[in-house]
Amino acid sequence: MNEAFRSGVEREKAEAVFPDPINPKIRQMEVIDTDFHFTPSWKTIRSYLKEPFQSLLFHYPVGSLEYNPEPANEKPGVGQDTHGVAATGADVIKILDQFGTDTVILNPGYNRPQSIFNEPMIAAIAAAHNDYLINEVFPVSPRIKASLMICHRDPFMGAEEIRRVGHHKQFVTVYTSFSALYEPLGNAKFDPILDAMQEFGLTLTCHSEGFFPHFTPLWNGARTWIELFGNAPAGNCMAHLAAMIVQGMFDKYPNQKVIFQEGGYWWLPDFMLRMDDFYLGSGGDIALVERKLATGEKKLHKLPSQYVLDHVRFSTQPITMPKNRKHFAWLLEMCHAKDLFCFSSDWPHQTLDPANWVVENTDCIDDEMQKALLSGNSRKLYNRL
Amino acid sequence: MKEYLIGKIDDIPEGKGRAFQAGRATVAVFRSNGKFYAMSNRCTHKGASMCEGEITNGGTVVRCPWHNWAFNIATGEHCYDQSEKIRTYEVKTDGDQVILYA
Repeated sequence: MNEAFRSGVEREKAEAVFPDPINPKIRQMEVIDTDFHFTPSWKTIRSYLKEPFQSLLFHYPVGSLEYNPEPANEKPGVGQDTHGVAATGADVIKILDQFGTDTVILNPGYNRPQSIFNEPMIAAIAAAHNDYLINEVFPVSPRIKASLMICHRDPFMGAEEIRRVGHHKQFVTVYTSFSALYEPLGNAKFDPILDAMQEFGLTLTCHSEGFFPHFTPLWNGARTWIELFGNAPAGNCMAHLAAMIVQGMFDKYPNQKVIFQEGGYWWLPDFMLRMDDFYLGSGGDIALVERKLATGEKKLHKLPSQYVLDHVRFSTQPITMPKNRKHFAWLLEMCHAKDLFCFSSDWPHQTLDPANWVVENTDCIDDEMQKALLSGNSRKLYNRL
Repeated sequence: MKEYLIGKIDDIPEGKGRAFQAGRATVAVFRSNGKFYAMSNRCTHKGASMCEGEITNGGTVVRCPWHNWAFNIATGEHCYDQSEKIRTYEVKTDGDQVILYA
């Protein structure tokens, strides 16, 4: 007998299989992906640019301080888009079907336009992006929704763009980011954007993005992708959220909802307790913020933690799951995941999350919570879904 | 444990992986530098199909297609943390046939 065989061992034919990595249950449930990056070609965007930008912006990026994860992922030539590029409506539908997604909210995907130094240039690119969506992408399928792109560094240009295209029902949210700002989004100087959003009932998206210019010292001195995008976004996210709450944004705009994306959330229990403690002991200077000076109010309408529950949601990607099952269950409970978490994939970035984890951790996430995470919470969050 | 015939050597191209159903186990079989390796098809991280992973680092590493986690193609151990390990299986050739033990 050939030594490759073992005596007494039965031999069978093993069939080649092509496993679908997506859990079959996902394909039976409604899935709404709240963060999917859509990246039209620069040629396409340029064709929609108004003059004089169309004639002068020959390529993109036009120049910025840049770093991308190729050295971290040891994959040259793809930047963050390790899973591909969706540049058309047909591309999007193909990927939705691949991952078992019913409805998607497209976020701008190309490399950090908010990092451009020239604010009118950002506004022109945002308008071209929105016009391409309206003219060529939205008509492909009602499954495709999108974030309305603006230059959020200039509140007046941002508001102008919202009023120009915000009536289109497939825009369900306005896209902003933690960075490419000098102040947190909760600052009253961004009220023109919020004023415009009230006219259309749009949710505010605040996504991790950008390197320069930025409202955070957390990137200064960083050397690695882990520092830049693994860790710093959580600190940035907390800073923006704290400003929204204690600078009275939700008191002035009581119907406004916000979804934070890629800033993490397991820090929420400490954040909520700490904000409440500081407010109860040291809340006197809230009377000095612009919005409170305007109304003469000296305090918030409710405890800081209550604003999180009433106004704020978190997209789930990237989910990190402790191997200790009790810890995972406790984190979900302490973070109010059943009410606050909305599924996202972040396709096509390296930290992509297919929805499997939502239905494969049944000891921590029951059927009701699965539905809430995959679609229910998003349907409550976005007025236009 | 059973012996499974998974096909002929040339059924699996050099530098690629294929998945096979061996009883209840779905096993990814790779051909790298002329040798065959086998591991569970499910990544320990978030369940991606390892058979679709890219073989890198001179044929010694297979990377998860979803999150780029790098596993030693022979031992199944993560290159940065050996405690993170995908189950491996024995695989041999018999003439032009490839045999999996699972």
